[in-house]
Amino acid sequence: MNLTDLQALEERYLMRTYRRAPVEFVRGEGALLWDAEGREYLDFLGGISVCSVGHCNPVVVEAVREQAGRLMHASNLFYTEPMVRLAERLAESSLGGRVFFANSGTEANECAIKIARKHAHRRGIEAPEIVSFDGDFHGRTYGALAATPRLAADPDLGPMLPGFRSAPFDDAAALRGAVGERTAAVLIEPIQGESGIYPLSDETLLAAREACDEVGALLILDEIQAGMGRTGSLWAYEQTPVRPDVLTSAKALGGGMPIGACVTTPEAGEVLEPGDHGSTFAGGPVACAAALAVLEIVDDPALLRRVRELGAVLRDGLLALDGVREVRGRGLMLGVGLGDGIDAAAVGTELLENGLVVNVPEPGTLRLLPPLTVEADQVDRAVGAIGSALLSYETA
Amino acid sequence: MSRKKPSEPRALTSGTAERLAAIVEAAERAAAQVIDDAEEQARRRLEEANSHANRIAAERLREIADELDPPAEGRPASHLRPVEHAGGEEKRPQRRSSAAGARILATQMAVSGSSREEIEQRLRSGFDIGDTSEILDAILGPED
Repeated sequence: MNLTDLQALEERYLMRTYRRAPVEFVRGEGALLWDAEGREYLDFLGGISVCSVGHCNPVVVEAVREQAGRLMHASNLFYTEPMVRLAERLAESSLGGRVFFANSGTEANECAIKIARKHAHRRGIEAPEIVSFDGDFHGRTYGALAATPRLAADPDLGPMLPGFRSAPFDDAAALRGAVGERTAAVLIEPIQGESGIYPLSDETLLAAREACDEVGALLILDEIQAGMGRTGSLWAYEQTPVRPDVLTSAKALGGGMPIGACVTTPEAGEVLEPGDHGSTFAGGPVACAAALAVLEIVDDPALLRRVRELGAVLRDGLLALDGVREVRGRGLMLGVGLGDGIDAAAVGTELLENGLVVNVPEPGTLRLLPPLTVEADQVDRAVGAIGSALLSYETA
Repeated sequence: MSRKKPSEPRALTSGTAERLAAIVEAAERAAAQVIDDAEEQARRRLEEANSHANRIAAERLREIADELDPPAEGRPASHLRPVEHAGGEEKRPQRRSSAAGARILATQMAVSGSSREEIEQRLRSGFDIGDTSEILDAILGPED
């Protein structure tokens, strides 16, 4: 079956929710991918920040293989060891409270929203509100969608879940103004990912923490894209001046297996009770075994230091290129702002044709999310490829 | 010492060798089990030690935050508290100063493994602090 056959079947049977690039990937190893014709690609998107330990990392593959051969599913009506071990590891590496497992990032945020609302009701708030920033992306299920202002504005998908409001991005004063006695939580990304890699300033993060403390609301940090070592610390908040009450994780957590987690402080972990939330598949032994293997690799000071160092090399290399206006982000989570008049979509297409996988989340921006295990020479190759593409685009 | 018939020693040797092999294999299995148990025990102790260290670090973070931003009179230590509906501006707790934020940032970065230089650079880029040595010395100890 070739690409044309796949496209015909997609057109007939798949809902038209994605615009796929015309490439069929069939194999991956480390930061490399190969298409059906045997062509090699350097992957600087990592399956949208999922493949942080590289494609088919042997440690993760073996953990999945071993667990899948022993027990694949038992449900949350029973105990399985990978689930409780992973909960312990996540809690002890971050907020010290409790964990709810989900199957994705958006589901992890649904749990966080439930915690925030129930916590608010306990405080006597009848109509709790959750505050986010314009440009935030928290997911596509209806709760998370309502906290994603750009998507929630689509009238065709309405009516939206009530009780959500947004403030202009990184506007500390506006955020303070939006937080009031009805506020259940401030739910924000420490570094906006889907909108093009925009880090929140320290001032705004401090304002969010302070505003939450003043009214008794929860600060929820969505680390679905920025967490799990992506920025050079296991959790992105560790390089900020705040500590959240709740953090959500997914994407890289499972190394390619679908898993999400909502992690709390001890206090916030006491909010949900039996029956408040649940999932058939979440916390399954295979996904949890994969996540434990991923954490074994990522939660390593040497690897995290390397992420910071390689991130600096990548940033400096990009900033030296003609056509690059700015580089935003931290560690190996970088948004490359291109110069005026440069069509980022065209650059992205050319890079793919030349064997470098990146993403264009907004006009004028390339998003780079390579595996954290990427090699130094691969970073150099990526910078060279982007430089060449920008050169050819400008001279075309 | 008389020599045994050729056929017997072969059978005997063969049987002894098998038994010996079985004994050696059993001994190796037992030794491997002992090593596995020891490694598992060491791993658990290491994890316990790490957890303990993380708890201490988290507690230290809270202490630093409280030292620099003392809870207002009567305010519960946790912000998970009933809303003070009548709370006017004067009843609100003091806002955390940027210096406190800088200390939390530096502490979190130190706990997560960042170097003194990395923390200093981050402090300089995020906060208006002329001399970062006081914060760095307080968290990391004086520079040698």
